[in-house]
Amino acid sequence: MATPSESDRTEQIITLFLHKAQHAVLASRIPHLNLSAPRPASARDRWFHLALGDLPAQIGHHGAVMDPLVVDILLTPRGDADDPAGSPEAVVERWTAQCVPPSPWSAAAPHHPHDGSWHRKTYKKSIILLRSLYALLRLLPAHRIFRLLCSSSQPYNYDLSYRISSFVAPFSRAEDAELKQYSFAPVETLFGQLVVSVQYRPSLANFNLEVSSMPPMIITDYVGSPAADPMRPFPSSLPERVSRPIMHQYPPTGIRTSATPSFDRPHSWNSTPLAHHPLSSASGPPVSEIGFLLPEHYGHLVPNQRPLGETKGSSGYNELKLSPPLSTSASPSPPTRGGDSPQSRFHLETAPVSIPTGKSQHRSPNLSDPFKSLLPPPSPRSTRADPFRKSEGLNLGDVYSNFHIYAAHKGLKDGRDDSGRFSALSSGGSPRYGFSRSSSRLSIQDDLDDGDFSYPFAVDDVDTSDSQARSFDGREAPEDTSSHKSPEYGSSHKSREAEVGILVHMLKTAAPLRQGQGSLQSSESNAEVI
Amino acid sequence: MNCETCQLKELVVEPPEIREVLRSILHTILFHRALGLVRPKDVECELFDIIYVQCEDHELEKKIDEKINQFIGWVEKHPNRKSQVCISFYEVKNKHATWFGNKIERFYWEQWYINLHIVSPKPHGKSHNTKAHVVTGENAFEESNSRCAALGSSLREVLLQIINFVNEKKDHIPPLQNSEIVSFPYEISTPSSSDSSFGWHADVLKRMLQTGHPSMLS
Repeated sequence: MATPSESDRTEQIITLFLHKAQHAVLASRIPHLNLSAPRPASARDRWFHLALGDLPAQIGHHGAVMDPLVVDILLTPRGDADDPAGSPEAVVERWTAQCVPPSPWSAAAPHHPHDGSWHRKTYKKSIILLRSLYALLRLLPAHRIFRLLCSSSQPYNYDLSYRISSFVAPFSRAEDAELKQYSFAPVETLFGQLVVSVQYRPSLANFNLEVSSMPPMIITDYVGSPAADPMRPFPSSLPERVSRPIMHQYPPTGIRTSATPSFDRPHSWNSTPLAHHPLSSASGPPVSEIGFLLPEHYGHLVPNQRPLGETKGSSGYNELKLSPPLSTSASPSPPTRGGDSPQSRFHLETAPVSIPTGKSQHRSPNLSDPFKSLLPPPSPRSTRADPFRKSEGLNLGDVYSNFHIYAAHKGLKDGRDDSGRFSALSSGGSPRYGFSRSSSRLSIQDDLDDGDFSYPFAVDDVDTSDSQARSFDGREAPEDTSSHKSPEYGSSHKSREAEVGILVHMLKTAAPLRQGQGSLQSSESNAEVI
Repeated sequence: MNCETCQLKELVVEPPEIREVLRSILHTILFHRALGLVRPKDVECELFDIIYVQCEDHELEKKIDEKINQFIGWVEKHPNRKSQVCISFYEVKNKHATWFGNKIERFYWEQWYINLHIVSPKPHGKSHNTKAHVVTGENAFEESNSRCAALGSSLREVLLQIINFVNEKKDHIPPLQNSEIVSFPYEISTPSSSDSSFGWHADVLKRMLQTGHPSMLS
């Protein structure tokens, strides 16, 4: 009778073998799940002495140790789903791995030595079995299609997808007739025989694999698009996704990536945008683990729960488009002044808009953000203490749009708050965040803490329009003395718009930002007059 | 100890194809016998539509390439012949002290015979008639393509044969003694350039005698 430790060991061997076998099959059949084993190999990856990389836990075998693992590799036509003439998906391979217990009526159970060597033999034989499985995967016809889809930048009319289940759904007679079977020699274990087999199509010539004529898929709900829902929350699994760069954010057209994600895209206007930043302490694993954690990203793209214990994944782009690359980016976030404060919301809303300056240096927390290049260009800003003193390259249109967004979203109350903020700015406090020229929230926070900042619109031109603009500015300026609050903020929307126009005009005629404190004081005095 | 022997299906190859054929076969065998921690590397045959797996080990690749070069050198001197490349796995046991020193005894527990029939490429037919020459050239090209495709198919069968054998025979494999990539000592025997084929066969016979079992030629 086997000792408990031998039983545990055997169970562990069987469980991990099934997991590894599944990994080997998927990595050799599903494009973009083609994982490279990181160096050094993790402890789990060293099992069976075959370093394949770590498969996402969500894709792993979740059944009991004695439950069969069935992996169907499907050739899925890529085309109009509504097209009645479209051919259905076809199973090109079915891999089955299972520990089959000895039948009750079989002869006497084979003698297992009690010296603990049995599970070592089982392990050694499992290693060889896994090698054979790995080698056979490369000899079967489906591997050619896999290589074609992986290497081609052109979309094809078929995709490779997979389906994992814990039961063996029988094939139809027609399908059965087309399939050949290969069974590996079983490996004896304490619990029974570890059996691996594959049913495969010997020829895939019937599938006319050719470059697809379909146009590239267009992402319609990219971040910032009108179609996108701005208030969709971050998915709970995002930290892992963010920590892991997506290998195919813009996948080769026609190669569909993994299955439908079960989460929503985050947006920069989320109240805690940095929560999922790779460098955030609150987020997932550290940046150094990005390479190791890549497989888990694909795990999140695969729906894990399916009826009848099925799990299906596809290499389809249809699924990835719902989770575009920008979703995993740590979009620049404003400094968090309390998660749900209007100010922080405003910061979030205006962050993505860029206001280019001559020097595009800007401090960004997401230094290692792989998706930085995919974001709208962040507002370049100087690393100097008071960047808003610079005027060169100030894109007034962007400033206007920033302010317009701000004005449209702020009510009386918010206006007062912003007024307070403006006044703080004008008194040399924090930068005018409402006109943030940087999409880097942390840098803006730094600016907010910068005591030398001067309000960018604090000009001392005496034009009528300028003075009106300045009055608007001035009204905003004295925040910390409530007596300076302008009644204008309690005015109607129409007057607010007028104020905006005045402000814009003022900006257009503003002097260079490099101004001393004196200019601020003069603007305040002008405001008081008006 | 049993010495399991596997005679692989004979392949008809031309000299330019020897390297690819031997590489794919030797690496596939060693991939199944190098039971240390391995990062598998897929290698695409240049001449055939076949992917085989290598252990990502530079020393192993170097050793195999050296042996292949040695074999190719022999083939150049002995063209149009049937020959064998043998890869054997053994255990080192019982160092017997002799008059001449300690004798290291090898016990071979597995041998693989790669049977190759080396043929020279067919020269294109010469014709004074231009049209006939073109047709002959086209035929030769098609013939070469079909021969290459047939060889690719045969090579695939050989690789499958290796997988079958490896799976069927597992009990004779000794326990793992170390954590190196190549877990068991091995040797690759090729007909020596200086020797005749007789000398090579003598080596094989000697090995057979050491194992104590007749070589299974089936």
